[in-house]
Amino acid sequence: MAKEKRRRKLTVRSQAKIVSNRLGVVFLIVLLAFVGLSARLIYITKENNNDYQHKILSQQAYDSQVINAKRGEIIDRNGTVLATSKESYNVILDVKNLLLHDENEGNTDGTEHTLAALKNVFGVDTEKIREYIKDTPKSQYYQVKKGVSFEEMSRFLMYTTKPENEEDNDTLYDKNVNSVWFEKYYVRFYPQNTLACDTIGFSLNNGTASYGLEEYYNDLLTGVNGRKYGFLGDNSTQEITTIPATDGYKLVTTIDSNISLMVKKHLKDFMFEYKDNVREGFGANNVGCIIMNAKTGEILAMESYPDFDLNDPTDISEYYSEEEINTMKDDGTLKDAYDALWKNFCIQDTYEPGSVMKPFTVAMGLETGTIKGNEGYQCNGYLTIGGHEIYCHNRAGDGWLDIKGAVAQSCNVALMYMSRQIGAENFLKYQEVFNFGLRTNIDLTGETRTDSVVFNENTLHETELATASFGQGFNVTMIQMITGYAALVNGGYYYEPHVVNRILTSGGSVVKNIEPRVVKQVVSETTSAKIREYCNAVVTEGTGWRAKPAGYAVGGKTGTAETVPRGNGEYVVSFMCHAPADDPEIICYVVVDRPNVAVQEDAKYATIISHEILTDVLPYLNIPMTEDLTEQDIAALEERELSILTNRTEKEDPDADSEENGEGENENNGDSNND
Amino acid sequence: MENTATLKRKKYFDFTLLFIVLFLLGFGLVMVYSTSSYVASVSSGDDFAFFKAQLRSIIVGLFVMLLAYLFPYKYYKKFAPFILLASFIIVPLVLTPLGGAEGETINGARRWIFLFGFSIQPAEIVKIAIIIYSAALLSKMTMKERQSLRGTAFILGPAGILFLMLLFITTNLSSAIIVFGIAYVLLVIASKKNIYAYMLLIGVAIVGVLGVIMIAKGIGSSIWGFRGERILAWLNPEAYADGKGFQVLQSLYSIGSGGIFGKGLGKSMQKLGFLPYAQNDMIFAIICEELGLFGGLAVIFMFVLLLFRLRDIVYYTTDLFGSLLVCGVFAHIAIQVVLNVAVVTNTIPNTGISLPFISYGGSSVIFLLAEIGIVMNVASNIDFATPNVNYQETIDEETE
Repeated sequence: MAKEKRRRKLTVRSQAKIVSNRLGVVFLIVLLAFVGLSARLIYITKENNNDYQHKILSQQAYDSQVINAKRGEIIDRNGTVLATSKESYNVILDVKNLLLHDENEGNTDGTEHTLAALKNVFGVDTEKIREYIKDTPKSQYYQVKKGVSFEEMSRFLMYTTKPENEEDNDTLYDKNVNSVWFEKYYVRFYPQNTLACDTIGFSLNNGTASYGLEEYYNDLLTGVNGRKYGFLGDNSTQEITTIPATDGYKLVTTIDSNISLMVKKHLKDFMFEYKDNVREGFGANNVGCIIMNAKTGEILAMESYPDFDLNDPTDISEYYSEEEINTMKDDGTLKDAYDALWKNFCIQDTYEPGSVMKPFTVAMGLETGTIKGNEGYQCNGYLTIGGHEIYCHNRAGDGWLDIKGAVAQSCNVALMYMSRQIGAENFLKYQEVFNFGLRTNIDLTGETRTDSVVFNENTLHETELATASFGQGFNVTMIQMITGYAALVNGGYYYEPHVVNRILTSGGSVVKNIEPRVVKQVVSETTSAKIREYCNAVVTEGTGWRAKPAGYAVGGKTGTAETVPRGNGEYVVSFMCHAPADDPEIICYVVVDRPNVAVQEDAKYATIISHEILTDVLPYLNIPMTEDLTEQDIAALEERELSILTNRTEKEDPDADSEENGEGENENNGDSNND
Repeated sequence: MENTATLKRKKYFDFTLLFIVLFLLGFGLVMVYSTSSYVASVSSGDDFAFFKAQLRSIIVGLFVMLLAYLFPYKYYKKFAPFILLASFIIVPLVLTPLGGAEGETINGARRWIFLFGFSIQPAEIVKIAIIIYSAALLSKMTMKERQSLRGTAFILGPAGILFLMLLFITTNLSSAIIVFGIAYVLLVIASKKNIYAYMLLIGVAIVGVLGVIMIAKGIGSSIWGFRGERILAWLNPEAYADGKGFQVLQSLYSIGSGGIFGKGLGKSMQKLGFLPYAQNDMIFAIICEELGLFGGLAVIFMFVLLLFRLRDIVYYTTDLFGSLLVCGVFAHIAIQVVLNVAVVTNTIPNTGISLPFISYGGSSVIFLLAEIGIVMNVASNIDFATPNVNYQETIDEETE
């Protein structure tokens, strides 16, 4: 028995021995597997060390969060906001966290209450969210709604903010609402809508901008985005570091939005008064006006029409029917339509200045001494130059004129005589002195180069010199003309025109003050005084009489220039004026491109607009009246005031700040225009 | 005889084994904290959340290990059929309310049962059950029976059923592979030459290679489903970087970026939410990132030591059932470590498998420690006076 047991034990023991041996083999196999895996580990490390390190670092950077910088504001000289950035929020739902919350609570109250709150505040479709939760339960980023306002966000946050007072029953607080957060970003907002649209330009997202100040000062306005990122601290804990965003600089412009409003109103009035007059469309192809401080080069207003709403620049439904827009989309001309609308007429369009050039020509003569100032010229209605008969605008002839009379009556013949005296060499020299063919370097994007559309020694022959004296044959921009004219009448000082006065940090400390910059003296004080005298005569006894505002003496010069191709009766008419007459404070330049009338060759369309603008602007600027008011004047002013008052009372909300609400006022005035 | 009796009374305790296991557990705790603190602090605000849970499991596990150490292993042999039966019952329990209400599953898979506030993975119980069952049955069979088709079927049959149950009920391929692998290894170890087992291995290998080739060539893609995509992601992880290849690619980034000595303990960047399951299945990748190639190889070396120690115990164990139990534990740990490192290094297709003793996971640690307890109990019966090594002596006695 004992032997049997022993035998059994031995059998088992020998089998255990077999197991032990075979396990040894298995152990060797496992060992080999480990050697193989170790070799693979070594291979991975050796081959890809740097490569994978970079990959990991790049993933980290991707994960970090950008804190958007706020684009700087643009305000006018009185502090009225022209462009600002409004906070806007995206509503984000963390689905994973929401479900985790439910799991911990053991019910679905969290999901239900959160969805209800979302629907309540933002009016979103909860079924869509439910579907999303079901499909992607692990998602941590679901955009419930884009671009909600701060007020809406605050309303939602009332659900998640515990009231300080426990007994406070008047609370929305619900502890089940969770896993919703808000992503902040900025939306550009232009409170004045269309006001100075070409001058301001627009920015669709921070960092990129088109046209005007927005584009010119884009780098300063943009600011620097901040960043929030996690890294491992010393205690192997995740630490969050935040580099705050540096908000963009604020621009204080020289623009006066009140003046701009007045200007815009009268431009628009004109456009609608002559709307569909002889051809379909507005009162002119384009109409623009710049008002400049004569003694600093500051731009107080720079307006043109047609205009557009900066908050929605691609909306052109005001000017085109839906069909037309679709056609343009198809044939690819929509972009051209946008360009035409968005570009700044005052600095980008070139045209022949016409008779507004005459004071410049006279100044050339006086400065070079080729004209003494006591000359007289006989105008018979035309002058033959190089075999061509070049007509005066008054074909009957203006008779005997002195220089003052020549300017006042805008006599082409007299100016042609003068240009002969001045000569081509002097003309070319002063063309450059007055900056024709050169940019004014105004701080706006897109000022057109004009170097190829002015004369040079090869192109300025006898005939060209004659016609150039009254502003035909070469092209200019409005900003060149007004800047040059300001120099002519302010004592000869050519100021660089500018729109921005000061650059401030977002906190308000001054980064840079932009002082008026005299580029050069173009004419002497005496010449300047004479030019003023001649130009004042234009208004008192010449072609610009319509422009005179009640109570003020002003000077100026009319201009009518036939467009190319000649002979089809299309003209650009304009009026340049300075006020007050003897010591100019402001220059106002109005250009009407092809007025919608049967006979376009009449500067009155520009002088009337100028009259309207000056009548509003001069009192606003507190420039004292120097002239006695006639009974007619008083009656006109009273009627004017009355119309403004009726317009105000017609408004639904008389308390609304009418100065701020440019569009509303314009529309009202446009409708009730009975001029 | 008298000599043997005194030796038996003085029980052997394997301090080396205990030390290796405690070292792995301690190292695991450090790594679990390192890998999970960020994710834990973000999701629950307590960066120690995972660490605490793991520490609790380890304490429970050590207690279970002590119980298993004190419990004479010979009794398992009697209960083996019941233990197997229990594991057949316990797997389908995940489908009952014990497995949690509809929609309350963890990570979308039904792999847990909830009992008295604990969540247990039946797969871990099944692993122990298959070890005990296979060891008991094999130790009862004669060598001839073990090598017969019938004997093979008795071992691999239940293992195969459990394989299918785990695969289809809990959708847990890796546990299914481990369970079947344990039974297979025990069968091969216990028999001198089992032709059926070898044929099965060759068959599986051929089917596997053909399957991979077919999937790579895009044949019959509708049959393979998401596992097919897993194979494709394995062959070319960059091409599936947004889907199935993401985890393994991130894992390779971690290993590759670690260099020879790593970025330093706690300095992994991949654990900041980039490498999914960094504290579970992918913990080895973070070890390589933080401690480098050196750290990774050192961990592998510790497992080699552990396995060597188990082999040693088998070497000195004279009882067949006891040595087969230890072999089963050996197989379990070896398969799991090899598969885990192979997945992390993209040597085989990705399947969720944890690193024994180190990865985060309560069930896994507790049942592994129970297995270690059983091993210790087996080891305590080692009779150094009559080791089976002394083959010559045994033969002599037999011929006597």
